[in-house]
Amino acid sequence: MESSTDSVLMKLVQAGDSAQLATLFERYHLGLFRYLLSLTRNRALSEDLVQEVFFRVLKYARSYDPSLSFPVWLYGMARNACFDALHEGRAEMTGSEMEEIRSSAPMPEEALARKQDVTFLQEALQRLPEEKREVLILSRFHNMRYEEIARILKCEIGTVKVRVYRALKELREKFCELRGEKLYDV
Amino acid sequence: MTFEEIRLLIPQYLSGQLTPAEKDIFEAQLNARPELRIEVEELRALWGELGSIPEERPSDALLAHFYQKLNAIARERKRVADGGFAWWKSGLQGLVRQTAIAVAVFATGLYVGRMNFGPSPGTQEVKRLDTEVQTLRQTVALSLLERQSATSRLEGISWSSRVEHPDSDLVSALLSTLNSDPNINVRLSALNAVEKFFEDPGVRKTLVESIPRQDSPLVQIALIDAIVHMRDNTAATELRKLTGDQEVNAAVRQRAQWGLQKLTYQ
Repeated sequence: MESSTDSVLMKLVQAGDSAQLATLFERYHLGLFRYLLSLTRNRALSEDLVQEVFFRVLKYARSYDPSLSFPVWLYGMARNACFDALHEGRAEMTGSEMEEIRSSAPMPEEALARKQDVTFLQEALQRLPEEKREVLILSRFHNMRYEEIARILKCEIGTVKVRVYRALKELREKFCELRGEKLYDV
Repeated sequence: MTFEEIRLLIPQYLSGQLTPAEKDIFEAQLNARPELRIEVEELRALWGELGSIPEERPSDALLAHFYQKLNAIARERKRVADGGFAWWKSGLQGLVRQTAIAVAVFATGLYVGRMNFGPSPGTQEVKRLDTEVQTLRQTVALSLLERQSATSRLEGISWSSRVEHPDSDLVSALLSTLNSDPNINVRLSALNAVEKFFEDPGVRKTLVESIPRQDSPLVQIALIDAIVHMRDNTAATELRKLTGDQEVNAAVRQRAQWGLQKLTYQ
């Protein structure tokens, strides 16, 4: 079963075999959770959304075209679910949740320099504007190609190209700022 | 391609996503322009550093809720499919005799039809959904058995007991849990779960071989009890070894002695 491709599994789901959704869930729930967490910055909501997205997959299985990439379809659906939640006001992060995310990172005084850098990098990533953070995360952490990201975001490939580059540059600026370094542009 | 357009390729260059033609153009520029080299190296370090950010993981509750809901959906589908036949079963009780006769005639017609044309689509659907529920439970059990949290693994063992005819993958996973799970409670639960497959010689053999591998006297004693319950005389040699090994916990040796007597005289 593990070797079955996503589209084979989706064909079975389309035929009414809902058990195959479990395999797709095992394959994608971690990545999807990280993607949604990067958008919502709210763990509980991201977990709810992961579930919601997979049950949307079941509900709208017939609309899936097996010739297209399943992750693109899935992430597109996740994005819509996230925006629905934002629209309903569910995605507002409370102060304590933000604190929880920050405190889960190593404390500077008790961490080594490398750990401190990771903390700064996480912080810098959080400080990026949402549209930049999203493309960077899809590209860097989900290994998605620009074509795939463009399909999820429903935009031109050129837009993705510019946005990823600028996101990386801005991330570096913010990272250096947090480390107290002066940045010299080339 | 302008220099600005070349710079936009940096992230794709770093992630190895450039086409061979783009890569050739990019690398030619990289050799020709020191400022591009500096920028690439700076961003390469950052790109690499991004990989050291710890990956966030959802709580085990997500998994539990998802599978509960999926199982509920599978059950509901099965109930709906079963409902196709329920109407005439329950309807009979409250109907007058004439209607009952009419229904009986109709049911006979259905029966005859089934004899002539094989199982009805409704029956096939119920069978298919039964299989689906079983597959789902097995997938859930296997998935939970691989989790880091002991609670999840215990839940996985519980799910395994709901699978009517587990395949060899699930039985192997339970045996592997029994042999190597770091948590004693999980191992004991796995033993309970595999005991029902004692008719399988492979399972019996694994249980016998598991005794000396266990570091917990509790698990060893539970294994001895299970073997005695299975009346597996081939285990006598292993039990004899245990009784004579002074390194083995005294309570385990005592239980092995008891087990040996049981196997010898039963």
